[in-house]
Amino acid sequence: MNKHGKLLEVQDIQKNYGKKNNITKALKGVSFDILPGEFLGIMGPSGSGKTTLLNCIATIIKPTSGRVLLNGKNISAFDSKDLADYRGSRIGYLFQDFALLDNLTGQENILLPLSIHGVDFAKAQTKLNELAGFLEIKDVLDKFPAQMSGGQKQRVAAARSLISDPDIVLADEPTGALDTRSAKMLMNKLEEIHKNSKRTILMVSHDPNATSFCSRILFIQDGVIFHELRRKHDESQEKFYERILQLLAQLGGGSANVL
Amino acid sequence: MFSRLIYRNAKRSRKENLIYFATLVTAVASFYIILSLGRQDVILFLKEFESDAIDKLLAYMPIVYLFALFLLFFLTLFANRYQLNRRGKEFGLYLMLGMRKERLVLQLVAEGIVTSVLALIGGILIGGFLAEIISLTVSKLVGQGIIGHQISLSISAIIMTVIGFLFIQSLALVILGGRLFHQEVHQLLYEQMDKIQDMGHLRGNIFHLLAGAVLLAIAYWLILYHFMDFGGLLLFVAFVLGCLGTIIFMRGFGRLLGILTSLSERKSTKGLRTFTLRQFQENIANKSASVAITSILITLSIILLADGASIFIGLENTFARSSSVYDFTVNGNDQEVEQFLTSEKMVPYVEDLNFLEIGHMKEQGERGENDMPLSLVDWSELREQLIMVLPDSYKEQFLSGEVQGYTISSENPEALNLLGTLEIDTKAPYLIPESSYNGLLKTIGEKPLNLQSDEMALYFNPDFMSMDNLDSFPVLDQILEVAEDNGKSLLHINDQAIYIRPFLPMKGLAADRSIEITSAFIVPDAMFKQLLNEETYASYWNFRIPQKLQDEQGLMLPMMESRDILKSSGFEFESYLQNFGRKLFYVVAGSYATLYMGFIFLIIACTVLALQFLTQMKQTGKRYVTLSMLGANRKQMKKSMHRQVMLTFLLPMSIASVSGAVGIKAMISFVMVNVDDQGQLYPVAFAFAALVIAILVIYGVAVTRSADHEIDKLRWKPDID
Ligand SMILES: Nc1ncnc2c1ncn2[C@@H]1O[C@H](COP(=O)(O)OP(=O)(O)OP(=O)(O)O)[C@@H](O)[C@H]1O
Ligand SMILES: [Mg+2]
Repeated sequence: MNKHGKLLEVQDIQKNYGKKNNITKALKGVSFDILPGEFLGIMGPSGSGKTTLLNCIATIIKPTSGRVLLNGKNISAFDSKDLADYRGSRIGYLFQDFALLDNLTGQENILLPLSIHGVDFAKAQTKLNELAGFLEIKDVLDKFPAQMSGGQKQRVAAARSLISDPDIVLADEPTGALDTRSAKMLMNKLEEIHKNSKRTILMVSHDPNATSFCSRILFIQDGVIFHELRRKHDESQEKFYERILQLLAQLGGGSANVL
Repeated sequence: MFSRLIYRNAKRSRKENLIYFATLVTAVASFYIILSLGRQDVILFLKEFESDAIDKLLAYMPIVYLFALFLLFFLTLFANRYQLNRRGKEFGLYLMLGMRKERLVLQLVAEGIVTSVLALIGGILIGGFLAEIISLTVSKLVGQGIIGHQISLSISAIIMTVIGFLFIQSLALVILGGRLFHQEVHQLLYEQMDKIQDMGHLRGNIFHLLAGAVLLAIAYWLILYHFMDFGGLLLFVAFVLGCLGTIIFMRGFGRLLGILTSLSERKSTKGLRTFTLRQFQENIANKSASVAITSILITLSIILLADGASIFIGLENTFARSSSVYDFTVNGNDQEVEQFLTSEKMVPYVEDLNFLEIGHMKEQGERGENDMPLSLVDWSELREQLIMVLPDSYKEQFLSGEVQGYTISSENPEALNLLGTLEIDTKAPYLIPESSYNGLLKTIGEKPLNLQSDEMALYFNPDFMSMDNLDSFPVLDQILEVAEDNGKSLLHINDQAIYIRPFLPMKGLAADRSIEITSAFIVPDAMFKQLLNEETYASYWNFRIPQKLQDEQGLMLPMMESRDILKSSGFEFESYLQNFGRKLFYVVAGSYATLYMGFIFLIIACTVLALQFLTQMKQTGKRYVTLSMLGANRKQMKKSMHRQVMLTFLLPMSIASVSGAVGIKAMISFVMVNVDDQGQLYPVAFAFAALVIAILVIYGVAVTRSADHEIDKLRWKPDID
């Protein structure tokens, strides 16, 4: 933790795609902080720059200008070697399409970040059992992704993103490829992880159902953040969901604009 | 626009796909080399005096051509399939954008033509260059300066190469294009992988592994110990068993590998080890058949290359005169021949002129129980003595009368070969008068025999005895010497005791093998007349090219000149040239064919392995993106990939090495009698082994390069290619 108690600081991020005469300004100066133990959601209409923002934070792309600090370290200026050290160990990822390796079993997939970083996972065995038990994927550990359901796959992916105790988990539309029931189950699990083990999660989604599990939501449009919504301390998920829908309706003639 | 797209695609696929293009070029070059064989210096040279054999060889060319066509067809089919798979997505997009399938296929054809033309140009240039080099080296190695060099460029070979290559290339494209035509756009856009990780049951896998190993073991056993049984039928059985064994073994191995991976990772897994093994497993298990086939191809190629190499070693024997003494043997009316050979024209070429008489021995007047004429020869004492000196295992067989037939082989003990030869030949042995053989002895600087009237000498033709040491028979000489010291006679002719003279220097009786005598009795001239069966009498004039002439001009030139003079005389004659030519022919034809096939097999195997690996790499490229998202750096991924390449090449290679070694061992003991000195074999065998490894390494490096390139090309963003 740095002295301000902030886990992640996003400072005036700008991102331009393309060359001079054909430039797309995907992010036009985005700034926000994430405190440790927060479950932050980012919502916005298609093309608003959500994925771009997440990828900048995830160090998958380099911002044109601005900084991303993780625990006070400017990770947006890291070279690829330092980045590799952060990926999978300090930062965990969850993707819409799961991104499991289909020739590895569930267990091998989950343990992959550890072996990549050369962690001896004799110790991780308990952690694996714990996660697998919690995410209800014990019986698919020896199966290959092709033999799992979508929900199981995403929960295996979630276990993989958590196995190395990352400082932050970044998720881009994690429920995008799931049916309602599986999506709800996944979000329940993520919320529980967030609550019980104070895990910091940053999730991008345009689904109010999913973001209603967050503790705070940032709204982004045309590359700038224009609104913020906080879940009250004892507010239930269902109530928060109502509030999000209300806001979306207010913001621009119904959800069509946002969703 | 359309034509530019074609041109750009053709150019890009050449650039992106060096291996594909190189394969096509290799195919073309191989065609050209085999087709231009007739223009090689050695072949042109041999045509002069072994024209029959050469014509026969060249008559086989269409078959060789078709066979090469057949093999290379698979090569191009595989290469093209890889190429089209690679570009499936691109085609899918064209179709999505409204391009009609007919037009897509048309575009493919056009691209194919451009690529083919370029491959043809490159291949013919390389092939022509290689053919030229081969021609020069071989003529230099073989020709001893008498083979002139001619440019080996052959227009007909080029034409046939073009026709053949275009034929297989278009056949491959028609087959693949047809398949493309019937594929759904969806299939193209989302290339299917072998998603199901079917690991089978542990027991089933072990069964496969064991069954494969057992089949292989049986095949090895058959090859090592029953190579020649049932007229080579068992060889075929062994080959089939070996192939089956390899395929089943690979099947079991690939899947077992998966299970082993799961087991081993419980203990420790560092870096991308699990991933590497899983990738390897996927490559092997899902394609065990083709991996097994590459293994079989490598085996064949190892054996063929070793064989070709050994034949080439035999080349030295071609120059070594070994047993042969005379350069020419002339046949015809005795006086006329003598007159001609002593005429002014011929005298400069004639030295050591010798008159050789020969004929079979008469048989007894009465007949035996099976109506066969009885021999005058009773050699039971000698036979007994020979059996006595046999090694124990053979001796028992002989004494119990188990022995039915004989094979003469360098593997056999000397006494067994002698027994075998005499058993057959003593029925009506060849007789040679002492005077004829004395002439031969004088030529090689030995003393004449001076046989007593009850003496003879045993002659064995060194060319037919396949002995390690051609001019001495230590066992026989030992027996004869003891008998001589004891004044004992080991042989009776017509009930008269005859004493056999030991230590006879044995050399070829004539210039060529035309006089096929395995063994003969050399008897005093009087005895020759008395015992000769007149009907079988034959006579020959033998001579050598004078040593002085040889020193001045070498052997070949005067030999060819005198051959021309003899030809004009109309006499029948044989020359050592023929012998030389025939040997050379076998060496050249044999080593060309085997080496060629060996290389083709090797190249096919390597190409299949390489393309298969790259296909998998391409299909699973996204996995590397995921790995990098999880923190793997490029170095780690490349390391894993290099391991995969190594394993992919090593697995088929290692089984092939074992099988190949067994095959070579069997060939050394059963077939390759032409290798006198096995010590010679090792440097050459080593060189060829190194060559095989070098080719594999080149392919491995090429694959690694392309795969490295793929990894460098990776975009971090997971949902963008
Ligand atoms: N690689 C790229 N090259 C050029 N422009 C890009 C690229 N990626 C995104 N963009 C542009 O940047 C803008 C923001 O894209 P981004 O993917 O961040 O949107 P998003 O909010 O994630 O949308 P969605 O909800 O549809 O996923 C868009 O206008 C898009 O066209
Ligand atoms: Mg997006």
